Amino acid sequence: MSRLEAKKPSLCKSEALTSERVRTTLSVLKRIVTSCYGPSGRLKQLHNGFGGYVCTTSQSSALLSHLLVTHPILKILTTSVQNHVSGFRDCGLFTAILCCNLIENVQRLGLAPTTVIRLNKHLLSLCISYLKSETCGCRIPVDFSSTQILLCLVRSILTSKPACMLTRKETEHVSALILRAFLLTIPENAEGHIILGKSLIVPLKDQRVIDSTVLPGILIEMSEVQLMRLLPIKKSTALKVALFCTTLSGDISDTGEGTVVVSYGVSLENAVLDQLLNLGRQLVSDHVDLVLCQKVIHPSLKQFLNMHRVIAIDRIGVTLMEPLTKMTGTQPIGSLGSISPNSYGSVKDVCTAKFGSKHFFHLIPNEATICSLLLCNRNDTAWDELKLTCQTALHVLQLTLKESWALLGGGCTETHLAAYIRHKTHNDPKSILKDDECTQTELQLIAEAFCSALESVVGSLEHDGGEILTDMKYGHFWSVQADSPCVANWPDLLSHCGCGLYNSQEELSWCFLRSTRHPFVPQTCLPLEAVGSASNLTLDCLTAKLSGLQVAVETANLILDLSYVIEDKN
Amino acid sequence: MLSSMAATGSVKAALQVAEVLEAIVSCCMGPEGRQVLCTKPTGEVLLSRNGGRLLEALHLQHPIARMIVDCVSSHLKKTGDGAKTFIIFLCHLLRGLHAVTDREKDPLMCENIQTHGRYWKNCCQWKFISQALVTFQTQILDGIMDQYLSRHFLSIFSSAKERTLCRSSLELLLEAYFCGRVGRNNHKFISQLMCDYFFKCMTCKTEIDVFELVDDYFVELNVGVTGLPVSDSRIIAGLVLQKDFSVYCPADGDIRMVIVTETIQPLFSTSGSEFILNSEAQFQTSQFWIMEKTKAIMKHLRSQNVKLLLSSVKQPDLVIYYAGVNGISVVECLSSSEVSLIQRIIGLSPFVPPQAFSQCEISNTALVKFCKPLILRSKRYVHLGLIGTCTFIPHCVVLCGPVQGLIEQHEDALHGAFKMLRQLFKDLDLNYMTQTSDQNGTSSLFIYKNSGESYQAPDTGKGSIQRPYQDTVVENKDELEKTQTYLKVHSNLVISDVELETYIPYSTPTDTFQTDETLKCLSLERNRLTDDYEPLLKNNSTAYSTRGNNRIDISYENLQVTNITGKGSMLPVSYKLQNMGASQSYLSSSMPAGCVLPVGGNFEILLHYYLLNYAKKCHQSEETMVSMIIANALLGIPRVLYKSKTGKYSFPHIYIRAVHALQTNQPLVSSQTGLESVTGKYQLLTSVLQCLTKILTIDLVITVKRHPQKVHNQDSEDEL
Repeated sequence: MSRLEAKKPSLCKSEALTSERVRTTLSVLKRIVTSCYGPSGRLKQLHNGFGGYVCTTSQSSALLSHLLVTHPILKILTTSVQNHVSGFRDCGLFTAILCCNLIENVQRLGLAPTTVIRLNKHLLSLCISYLKSETCGCRIPVDFSSTQILLCLVRSILTSKPACMLTRKETEHVSALILRAFLLTIPENAEGHIILGKSLIVPLKDQRVIDSTVLPGILIEMSEVQLMRLLPIKKSTALKVALFCTTLSGDISDTGEGTVVVSYGVSLENAVLDQLLNLGRQLVSDHVDLVLCQKVIHPSLKQFLNMHRVIAIDRIGVTLMEPLTKMTGTQPIGSLGSISPNSYGSVKDVCTAKFGSKHFFHLIPNEATICSLLLCNRNDTAWDELKLTCQTALHVLQLTLKESWALLGGGCTETHLAAYIRHKTHNDPKSILKDDECTQTELQLIAEAFCSALESVVGSLEHDGGEILTDMKYGHFWSVQADSPCVANWPDLLSHCGCGLYNSQEELSWCFLRSTRHPFVPQTCLPLEAVGSASNLTLDCLTAKLSGLQVAVETANLILDLSYVIEDKN
Repeated sequence: MLSSMAATGSVKAALQVAEVLEAIVSCCMGPEGRQVLCTKPTGEVLLSRNGGRLLEALHLQHPIARMIVDCVSSHLKKTGDGAKTFIIFLCHLLRGLHAVTDREKDPLMCENIQTHGRYWKNCCQWKFISQALVTFQTQILDGIMDQYLSRHFLSIFSSAKERTLCRSSLELLLEAYFCGRVGRNNHKFISQLMCDYFFKCMTCKTEIDVFELVDDYFVELNVGVTGLPVSDSRIIAGLVLQKDFSVYCPADGDIRMVIVTETIQPLFSTSGSEFILNSEAQFQTSQFWIMEKTKAIMKHLRSQNVKLLLSSVKQPDLVIYYAGVNGISVVECLSSSEVSLIQRIIGLSPFVPPQAFSQCEISNTALVKFCKPLILRSKRYVHLGLIGTCTFIPHCVVLCGPVQGLIEQHEDALHGAFKMLRQLFKDLDLNYMTQTSDQNGTSSLFIYKNSGESYQAPDTGKGSIQRPYQDTVVENKDELEKTQTYLKVHSNLVISDVELETYIPYSTPTDTFQTDETLKCLSLERNRLTDDYEPLLKNNSTAYSTRGNNRIDISYENLQVTNITGKGSMLPVSYKLQNMGASQSYLSSSMPAGCVLPVGGNFEILLHYYLLNYAKKCHQSEETMVSMIIANALLGIPRVLYKSKTGKYSFPHIYIRAVHALQTNQPLVSSQTGLESVTGKYQLLTSVLQCLTKILTIDLVITVKRHPQKVHNQDSEDEL
């Protein structure tokens, strides 16, 4: 009988957001995420104090998954950021910082939550429709016929993760590798519906980053002894492959719910082994060159196959099954009996390879959409960070393939957007308010809170005490070093804006981002020739940023709408 | 091991409990309500405005609180709406009861019991009241609904006969529903989504069984996707299964599918049987036979054009392999509810692999429009284009949200909306008695007399009552005057003068019509009438003085006094009408499906108004009291709804306008757009009254250490 225990009553707290405790924890979280943001962001070391794994990171996915958040309100915030990151992989910190800023700014105003939520929603839709519109001045089309913009996109992601510990040269190398790996997953003769392949990341720790490489096909790691035992195949044509998903170890399969009585002297093991050897004979007579098994192959069968110059590799594991099926075009075999000839696949060639201290069995495909990215880094933590970054970059490239636009990075999109919103709410408040019950003053207040939240996100790109400026023509982001003499001639102190599109030699006027200024119209409709000339741009993924923006505002609205917290104490 | 705890004054205790609950639920009630965050013991967080969820999340320990929560959840199971209103209404009812009984000096009820201890007196009193509540609920309420309220009902259908539903009215209904259930920034979107879903799923003829199907299988008909903005939620044609294909073979054209509930591969032995292996060759041949048999079955399926196999169990590798070889896609481990949903949609029974293999055609296959993988935010699902054989056209809702808690909230709300619609599409039977029960001889005599006279006569009677009871009347009058002055004071602030003038003349009736003959004639009747008025007036005026309410509340309380007195003078007319066809008989009628009222407390105000009218007419003090308490408690709900509104939209204004419109037979004007189901409201009312009866009938709460044994268990032991 199960033990029944009375449930403890829950704890019910009202006005959760205004309490001092929540405010302090929220500001602590905000400080953690803001200090990580951007290329010069500070790293966080996460460890449990009992030794073991230490994580050094500045990425939201690693950071938030290791942080133990107990307060329910913070939990909402962190889980919504994590959910965003697990889908888009990019713009996690942006989302977290924006959400914290919005909550803080709006709380300071003390307006009724209904109004705040309604107006926030209007402002959000204003942002979204601007970013998606043709006139948007902060997005550029991605040209897939040249690698330039794609490389910029990958490079921007790599440089924004300082915990990867890459030098400039290494960054260039890894960016090129990532782009190659991505291009290898695109099928060559795509008609209509494209199904992308997969890039498998193979770890090679304690190696120089420069040694990283991309290979088409799949690498199966093996010990040197095993590899020596494999006989070299001399064959000019493609190799025939059989891929088994069922065990070939000679286990007796499920016998049903009733009982099976075995008479004395009857050895089922022998019976099964006979069956396995029959299978081996069939494989040999079908001229199979390579037998791969997800699970274990019986040693006798293995030996039999080897004797007939068939390579047998077992314990492949479930993770490699799908890419193997895809690459070889096999049907995973689940039968010990007759095998349909259609189930066999093929590879172009096999070879052995050694990278660092590891030995690999390399399957080279006929026509590849599967590739292996051998990734090296000096130590465990830096490798983990680099792996996450590579996954992010590959995913961002996939997203860009779907929607071929990129946003200007380096903070320029945010300042530009803030300038646009300010201008819009100042000059045309009627179109935003429509039939709502909110007043213009309320709109001005919320718009200011919204814009300054966006601007403080980019403000946190600067960690070394420098000043942040914005120009009055494009509304871009400019940063100036901390020790520069104040109010000098700006064109000499500044070189390029955050995204690198404009340089300071143009006739521009600047002002501090934090200072109050008259709303101006940022220049919309980005001229194409400006994009063509700039070679080294900082770019962001449009899809990820849009979703991040939406999630941040929605989560902030959600948190601002809370009136009670009921904590289950069981 | 039995310790007991006497719960003296269960109403008081229940009131305390209900007030705490009220404080929690009232913050998320109505369109202005806010969200509540609940954490689960597993660490997950849930956002909710669903009263039922909140009450469950509290894990209350107080026995009465637990009883209330039980009542709420059983109500919710049926109707899917109204948990918050339940608590608020119950709280107001308890408050009313508490206030009345605290001060009650009713000689009729207490005099003969006074010899007993106070505790038992209380209990008897509660018993009377609870009996009166039951009588009210079973015999009176339905009548009021049928005879008075029904004339205000609107129908959601554009044509009542065919039950066709137009989109705009459904939108109004759903928007009002979701207003109270999901966050403010999403309710419009969610109600649009629900509307789309409704019209996509329904064939032209809306049938109740579609609601039943969607309600029963709602979990299977929606998919939650975290990490996307809410606005990405959408409706997909077909059915989405929350698993991936075990084998996927792209297929088009004529796709047929089968459902299996057991493994296709024959096994060595079934349960209860024994398989004896005598030789290795025997083992090998039987294995070979199994393999060949499986192969043959799959081939046979293939020859019948079956390209999809749905299985509720895990199939062996062998089956999966031969399915792949034959180009049959396989989905394994379907839950039993998924299987029964598919069976209900397409009316397909499971396929049983034939024992003796034959080439006959498999009868139980079904045609599928398409079957393909669906990728939602890098997770794979199975997407089936089923061809429904019933009135339901299969569609799925994909719910997106930044966190799981929000998705669950939306899922809950959508499910509740279907429950609500399911109730709305049913006719509601009403059974009641035509006449108020046991009128004594004197009063009926009075009626007959009066009916022969002019309308003035009852007025005279009423005025004359005041004489023999001079002292109390003076007191009453003083209070009346007092209340009127308050009215005047506040009238400048909140109430327009014009409206006031129309009411005040009613409240200063009388002395002019006095005649001594009628006075003598009606001496027996007087007692009753004054009894009716006295507690009411006292109630209201003391409520004012003891409760430190804000201005709006004060003016409302006072207004009530004037209104009631005002109606008092109109009362005899309806009296006569009632008694014209006067014999006790049970009537049954029904409220047609699809009855709705505009939102914003319209139902409550209407019922309040007619209940007060009714209370005037009945002669039994319990009945009057119960009706009054219920009528007054009903107003608590619109008062919460209009809490944050000021000026023209504040509650007193709304209330005065509504009552004025009712008195002058004008149509009610609602300040809000939106509709709500009358059935839902009616069921809520009865559920609350049942719950209250339950609370009142308990006189003692006994705490036992052991788990109470179930009764039927003991019975079965006795038989043994």
